[in-house]
Amino acid sequence: MTAPDPSTVGPGHTGPSDGTGPAATPMVVEPPTHDRLDRLWADPPGLRGQLTGVQNDKIGKRLLLTGFFFLILGGSVDSVVMRLQLAVPNNDLIGPELYNELFTNHGSVTMFLVILPIFEGFAILLLPLVLGTREMPFPRLGAFSYWTFLLGGLLYYSATLFQLVPNAGWFAYTPLSGPDFSPDLALDFWVLGLGVAEVGAIAAGFEIIIGVLKMRAPGMTLARMPLFAWSVLVMAFMILFAFTPLIIGSLLLELDRGFGTQFFDPTQGGSSLLWQHLFWIFGHPEVYIQFVPATGVVSMILPVFTRQRIVGYQWLVAALVGIGFLSFGLWAHHMFAVGLPPMVLGFFAAASMAIAIPAGIQIFAWLATIWAGRALWRTPMLFVLGFLVIFVLGGITGVMVAAPPFDLQAHDSHFIVGHLHYVLIGGVAFPIFAGVYYWFPKFTGRMLSERLGRWNFWLLFIGVNITFFPMHIVGLMGMPRRIYTYDESTGWGPYNLISTGGVLVVVSGIAVFVWNVVRSARRGDPAGANPWGADTLEWAVPSPPSEHGWSVLPIVTSRHPLWDQDDLHSGDARLERFVQAIGRWPLRWRAAVVVGTADGRPQEVFRVADPSIWPLCTALGVVTIFVAELAKLRWGLAVGGVIVVGSAIAWNWPSPADMTEAEEAAFEREHGVAVNAGGSVVVATWGMGLAILFVSIAFASLLLSYFYLRLENPQWPPPGVTGPGLGGPALAALAALTAAVSVRVALHRVRTGHRAGVLAALATGALATGAAVAGQAAALLGSGISGTAHAYGSIFSTLSGFLLVVMTAAFTMVLLVLVWAARGLYDARRYAPVANVARFHTAMVAIWLIGFGTLYLGPVLT
Amino acid sequence: MARSAAALWWLMAALGGLVFVLVVALLVAGLRRGRAGPVRVEPGGSETGSSRRWLVGGGVLLPSVVLVVVLGATVAAMRDVPVQAPDGALVVEVTGHQYWWEIRYPAEGAVVANELHLPVGRPVALRLRSADVIHSFWVPALGGKMDALPDGVNTLVLQADEAGEHTSECAEFCGVQHTNMSLLVVAEEPDAFRAWVAAQAAPAAPVNSTGAAGADVFARACSRCHAVRPATEAEPAERGPDLTHFASRRTIGAIAENEPEALRRWISDPHAMKTGVLMPAVELDPHELDTVVTYLEGLR
Repeated sequence: MTAPDPSTVGPGHTGPSDGTGPAATPMVVEPPTHDRLDRLWADPPGLRGQLTGVQNDKIGKRLLLTGFFFLILGGSVDSVVMRLQLAVPNNDLIGPELYNELFTNHGSVTMFLVILPIFEGFAILLLPLVLGTREMPFPRLGAFSYWTFLLGGLLYYSATLFQLVPNAGWFAYTPLSGPDFSPDLALDFWVLGLGVAEVGAIAAGFEIIIGVLKMRAPGMTLARMPLFAWSVLVMAFMILFAFTPLIIGSLLLELDRGFGTQFFDPTQGGSSLLWQHLFWIFGHPEVYIQFVPATGVVSMILPVFTRQRIVGYQWLVAALVGIGFLSFGLWAHHMFAVGLPPMVLGFFAAASMAIAIPAGIQIFAWLATIWAGRALWRTPMLFVLGFLVIFVLGGITGVMVAAPPFDLQAHDSHFIVGHLHYVLIGGVAFPIFAGVYYWFPKFTGRMLSERLGRWNFWLLFIGVNITFFPMHIVGLMGMPRRIYTYDESTGWGPYNLISTGGVLVVVSGIAVFVWNVVRSARRGDPAGANPWGADTLEWAVPSPPSEHGWSVLPIVTSRHPLWDQDDLHSGDARLERFVQAIGRWPLRWRAAVVVGTADGRPQEVFRVADPSIWPLCTALGVVTIFVAELAKLRWGLAVGGVIVVGSAIAWNWPSPADMTEAEEAAFEREHGVAVNAGGSVVVATWGMGLAILFVSIAFASLLLSYFYLRLENPQWPPPGVTGPGLGGPALAALAALTAAVSVRVALHRVRTGHRAGVLAALATGALATGAAVAGQAAALLGSGISGTAHAYGSIFSTLSGFLLVVMTAAFTMVLLVLVWAARGLYDARRYAPVANVARFHTAMVAIWLIGFGTLYLGPVLT
Repeated sequence: MARSAAALWWLMAALGGLVFVLVVALLVAGLRRGRAGPVRVEPGGSETGSSRRWLVGGGVLLPSVVLVVVLGATVAAMRDVPVQAPDGALVVEVTGHQYWWEIRYPAEGAVVANELHLPVGRPVALRLRSADVIHSFWVPALGGKMDALPDGVNTLVLQADEAGEHTSECAEFCGVQHTNMSLLVVAEEPDAFRAWVAAQAAPAAPVNSTGAAGADVFARACSRCHAVRPATEAEPAERGPDLTHFASRRTIGAIAENEPEALRRWISDPHAMKTGVLMPAVELDPHELDTVVTYLEGLR
């Protein structure tokens, strides 16, 4: 591997022509400081470090490796066996049971356990370097996200050991997936195992949103942010808005399966289509959750290999945001055949087609970049070009299936199988491969082999087209999806044989990839800091990077800092002093910097969380809950709940900062940036904001289910059921209001320095919250409404239970803050937890009142 | 309707093909230029040259024009699809079961399984529902697709313009034997259809002396799930296919040709022929099996 032709490095670049950009020797700090920082940021050695580690490098690599492991297991092995079965007509290689299990597993694993963790892994691994900061905002949340993902994946796969492999498809339509038609535990493994992994996906989403918005290099305004960061930001928001309804849907399905509720049973007031709505509100955005970060990878690689700044940066950002919004408005195009009215079909058809406009903008921005620059034919570029070709085809067939008259022919036929694999392999897997080839040198210090890379690319590109193109034709000939065999008279045989031949080519391509990674990790050519002559910050640090990434933070003045800036550490004089200071101070704790969301000006220096065993314990608690439900050990649910709450409290227990207030104040005076050695105020506030958003989305999903079921039932409550009484819940609502006001009062008092008054107000808040919990619990238990007789009672009990959970969370928080306040942790300068509990209480009351109005007032008023 | 969907497909295929060729041509041309192109992006991010033309022309206008045309054609094609049964339509109740289709002609009083006969040239309103999980009705040659739901009735209006036979496969995954949930669709001339439906509506053929023993076995071993009108007038407790005119049907279990040897194997062990079928194996001694097969094959 040689460095790129020096004359082609960076348009307009006038720096040293060694092909490594201006920042090859960025570290102006004396070596001892660098080493001390490195030791400070390293996870503990040995097994303990493996279990307690929180370093973003470690978490990111683990997510990537585990994702690829599941790709080979569920993505490749399954598909080869399925294709061999379909190779010839009337084949009896495997029977229908195994075939159904294989396609269920293939879809579930690739959609939940492969692409998502791979992109979250890319994000967590890369963001601190790309954005010029030392860590992600919540390293422990990152660790928790990994553990839940791993344990959820293992729980899901453990079904194989019990011969209870899920077999209702990755979409698990009710009532087939319900208790009547799938009575054994196979579907419970599906719901619960993937449920654990979904929790992890949302946790990583929090981490990524705050990381991108708040933790960047000084001077990196939003407009200078690399497109990869934009894309994972949009992805993370979409995860939050899409996975939360899925978790609610999974909860309702598991309640039907394990507790006898009637959400999806049409004979008892339920609706089989409610599941489809909840599933596709997740399921369609899920496709774009995978596609959006892939376009981010493409937008990082293309400029480097055309030696040209990306054309239409603002347009690309707008397209990403536009795709994010639009993708939530077209879920029903998966449901064109369920009997929706023509007006609804027309709306969803138009919305589905409209997404071709932001996608078109992306394609033409990339084409223009290629026209403006000069191509360098390296493996990452090959995969990007392959992406463009295959994805355009997948997009075109996507517009076709958005047209209902055509979709009603193509729906659930092999045409869709061809279409979706063009989108997901061309649109998503190719950029993943491009990204691995591109960033592998950064994290191993070694190049992947170019020769094997070309083999890898061409085998995949040719194999994918041979495999999936014939499926369009055979689908139009009438071959449905999810059939394990077909008759010779159909004439589908030759096409299927070609597809099977193609998949063998694909598999050999993947084998070349694995071999390239294994071989090059030990024997690849040394990479150097910037082997591609790239423009973004991660290429300024050595390969592989040190534990802390940056000794002296970069100062960013351009969108392409390594092409445009001669020195990464010069700029505004005040900023220069600040970044030099952070390189030397404090060397006692892990310091990271928070910047203004839009302007990238330093706002806060804070202590990032240390390694901890508690994220793992919390994840184990979550798994305990899910395993207990699987084994029908109901007391285990309580045990798991206690482990989760206890571990989460221990995880967040304040630890004394190794720094006096005077030291903090001295730095603040000198640099004008707040110092919080006890932990970030800004990041915690954003975290609470996202937690409230998460709870609100979950609540909205339940409300949607409530009103959907209400519309499906002519009488509500159903005949023979009396609605709940108003008295108890009204008192509980009053108590909740009192609690929120009391906590607000406590916040006001702590701000103004009334320490004694704070305790009184918090105690009142705790009492009132407790009273509200007790009152609502009594009202629910005393309502006499059965949760299992009719869908009305099921949604009534579930929504009430949700309100109780939210209120109990608020109660736990206010108790903790009360304890900490009694120990004198808060004063007029440090009171962030009180403020966050006040925010949560306000949100809780809003949710409570809406819930009260829906459940109790609604039936009375209408 | 199938024709308008096909016309829409060819329009979209042509437009899609053009767009694909255009994009690939631009890509190849861009890669072959070998020198810096007409667009410049300055270090500050400001763009000069024709970048706006690329983004507005290719990114916004091109897809917009294509989409307007496609959406217009889509709406036009959708108008061709009748949502409600027109006057004079033949009404057929189609119920999906794991893993077979129950076909009822309510006005004509006929009940059939796994065979749907349609008169050519007359609109047919299929009232689709499901007795268990979600199934989907789809005859590729006649176009259209509609789910059969347990929640309520969906109506699909079809019309066959030419006589012929088609196969319909269930198009929504419905369990182990989703693959072999097939339905034979016969479009025939109105006279032939009238004759067929009248024959199907008639009571079962009278039992002759050779069939009498078989009828007894049937009443004991089969009638819990299967009806033969009018002998077992009461509705069976479990719903299996109506067998009143079993011998007139083309297939057994939608999977094997209807002949005595296959029927014998099917009754003894249906799972060996169709894994996961809900019919249990019926334990009969060889003589009983012979008589019941003779009886069933006599139900013309």
